Amino acid sequence: MIEDEIYRKSSQYRLWSFTSESLQSLRVTTNALASDRVRAAQRRAREAQQAANSSTSTPNPSDTDSKAAEEKTVDCLTPEEEQDLVRYYCEQTVELGERYRPPLPTIVRSTAIQYLRRFYLTNSPMAYAPKTIMACALFVATKTENYYLSLRQFAEGLPDITGDEVIAPEFLLMQGLRFTFDVRHPFRGLEGGIMELQAISQGMGQPAPHIPNQTSEDLRQGLLALPPPPSSSSSNLSIHDRLGRAHTKTRETLKTSAQMTDAYFLYTPSQIWLAAFLLADKPLAEFYLETKLGRTEEGHPLHELRMKILHTVSECSALLSSYKPSASDPEQMKKLKRIAKKRHHCENPEKAGLAGKKRVPAAAAAVGTPGISGTGEGTSESDVERLAKRRKVEEGGSGSEMLVDRSREDKPQDQTDQQQQVPAEQAEGAAG
Amino acid sequence: MAVSPSIPRSPSTTSSSTVPQKLKEIATQNISTGKGVSHPQIPLQNPDYELAQQLNDDVRHKYIKDRKLGEGTYAVVYLGHLRADSASYVAIKKIKVNAEFKDGLSMDAIREVKYLQELSHPNIIALHDVFTSKDLNLNLVLEYLPGGDLEMLIKDGSIHYGAADVKAWMGMLARSVWYCHENCVLHRDIKPNNLLIASDGEVKLADFGLARSFADPYLNMSHQVITRWYRPPELLYGARQYSGAVDIWSMGMVFAELLLRVPFVAGNTDLDQISKINDAFGTPTEENWPGVTKLPNYVSAEKDRIVPLQGRDFFLRQFPTAGSVGAELLMSMCALDPRKRSTASQILQHNWWFIEPKPTKKEDLPRKPGGVKKMGDDLARRGGELQEGPFHNTVRQLDFTAMK
Repeated sequence: MIEDEIYRKSSQYRLWSFTSESLQSLRVTTNALASDRVRAAQRRAREAQQAANSSTSTPNPSDTDSKAAEEKTVDCLTPEEEQDLVRYYCEQTVELGERYRPPLPTIVRSTAIQYLRRFYLTNSPMAYAPKTIMACALFVATKTENYYLSLRQFAEGLPDITGDEVIAPEFLLMQGLRFTFDVRHPFRGLEGGIMELQAISQGMGQPAPHIPNQTSEDLRQGLLALPPPPSSSSSNLSIHDRLGRAHTKTRETLKTSAQMTDAYFLYTPSQIWLAAFLLADKPLAEFYLETKLGRTEEGHPLHELRMKILHTVSECSALLSSYKPSASDPEQMKKLKRIAKKRHHCENPEKAGLAGKKRVPAAAAAVGTPGISGTGEGTSESDVERLAKRRKVEEGGSGSEMLVDRSREDKPQDQTDQQQQVPAEQAEGAAG
Repeated sequence: MAVSPSIPRSPSTTSSSTVPQKLKEIATQNISTGKGVSHPQIPLQNPDYELAQQLNDDVRHKYIKDRKLGEGTYAVVYLGHLRADSASYVAIKKIKVNAEFKDGLSMDAIREVKYLQELSHPNIIALHDVFTSKDLNLNLVLEYLPGGDLEMLIKDGSIHYGAADVKAWMGMLARSVWYCHENCVLHRDIKPNNLLIASDGEVKLADFGLARSFADPYLNMSHQVITRWYRPPELLYGARQYSGAVDIWSMGMVFAELLLRVPFVAGNTDLDQISKINDAFGTPTEENWPGVTKLPNYVSAEKDRIVPLQGRDFFLRQFPTAGSVGAELLMSMCALDPRKRSTASQILQHNWWFIEPKPTKKEDLPRKPGGVKKMGDDLARRGGELQEGPFHNTVRQLDFTAMK
């Protein structure tokens, strides 16, 4: 089984990989659907208002005109504005993770960012405020990445949001994620590549199986003979320092540009880390590819493959280098403020109260929707019965209850375990 | 059974054929003229009808729940079938919303969904779909496995099976574990009642409620995993950094249990489990397991109870039905030092699979009625729990006081 086969079975490939065209078209559709809904909801709100008014005052003849005018003023976000807004909250996710002591690991923050990006492919920020979804995505990521904090602990780290508000959109978020929680990141691939290059630099490199006449010493000499990276100021860097620099720089790109662009939707994790590596130290990255694919002449199948990979990776590099942090650009910040204001105006009034009403709106909507009662759900016991039963069990305190308690006891233990693990994780955060 | 393992309706086949298709369909429709309203499946009149929710309702609508099969503290399991084909059975596992657990969906449920979405293999239970129901409970649509589990067959004295059958079952288990490890997933709860049986005899590894991805080097993991009788010595000693070798030990314990038809080392407490392992396989020392004395919960054996490391003769004597090559394979799974234990890939290349007797064809493996109920119980159970029943309750109560 080769790695490609494994990756093709992953949910990231099956559900969350796109061409740039299909990605764009999905966003346009989501935006159009949401805009229609916003306009419809605002029309309903207006009509209700007018109905209330008309009962107290005589109808104004100019009503129809003002209605038409108002209709026009419902100014919805464009797909580009939505994307800008989501990107801003992805940046905020990094900041949010920084607030915790110790800061949340990179992997947790990156997973949360990808959740946020995936969620907003089929949901519009006009319907669901990214600020709320962001907090929930970060909390869900602590669970899926084995960095368990209790909701209370988690919420304590956040300004002006309660635990209930954090957890309220959990089901909504998971639904938007199509119940796939696994995110394949490029970080581990980078670590592996750096380890391989370090081994080569120490004369312990393993030649690729299809390049049999290459020795570890050939590899080491090849590595040492590389021209310095174009951007480097000090050309006589030791290979150890050069690898260290490239490592740090690549990791930084993976933590920022790779998260804030569409890289995960358009490229595989290995393409992403190689693209970031190419930006950090081009000769080194090309050398690394050669250790895998050889330095073959044109016409050789491995040459074709190498060129194809280089082409894809370069495209990804271009995407990564297109990213500029919003905070570094006053114009962008001004624009974001305007978008945020606009979003507030066109926020779907029927969705605004989501955070306050824990899980109710969706449930109520589902109950009130015809066609769902036919799922056979009707035969299952009602919530009331179930709660009553639970109470009975709790009061009973039978022998089997003991078993339940014992099994729960593992949980707090597991939690303290996770917290003891913090220093190591912190080291990871500091290293990266 | 229409949902047969030969046509695995795994997440990779179902989801990939329905969801992206739908997304694509929606994405390619003409927005400017259609305005989305023309799409019959999205009733825009209802402002709560997001695309994601519509997809969820479509999935939910594919299945009909029939009757309850089992209930545990953590989930209720129903028999269900495809609306479009009443002969296509599925098991629907409804995760209970835990009133005491205020932190949203539990870790067990998250782990189970996370890993089953990624793993698709003939020897791993297939997750066909996931949807939320009216009360916002999570429902996992799982492969229907009416053949019960290996525990049921091991315990029933009236069922006779031999070396060829054990080889077939172990082969299927080894392939499932290999596949998990190849995908960098630790199962962490391998035991006979998590090995379910399909109608055609295929064994399927189930219950991923304790699974996790391999940790990065030097990152700690919990040692409170794997049901005690199947838990390896490094976890009993509190190791926080471990590998796929933990699952291999469990696999060895299942192998031994299949041969003996009773659990091989069944401790009453964690400490008792350690001493029973010492007695059976030998006492861990710095010589046979460098570093063992540094493990957090290491306890040195009493002087008069030091047992030398057991060799081939012991395994052959204990497990004569395995034959000398089979006993050797079992021994390689039960190395005390996890670094000396075979990997799943080494196990699959072992000579035992190639010598006589050939593994029984899955269709001809022994089976037992009543498997549907057993499946319900197995799927409803929370990971890491021992089998229920008065005897096991006592075990847990003793454990409870002993560990305080």
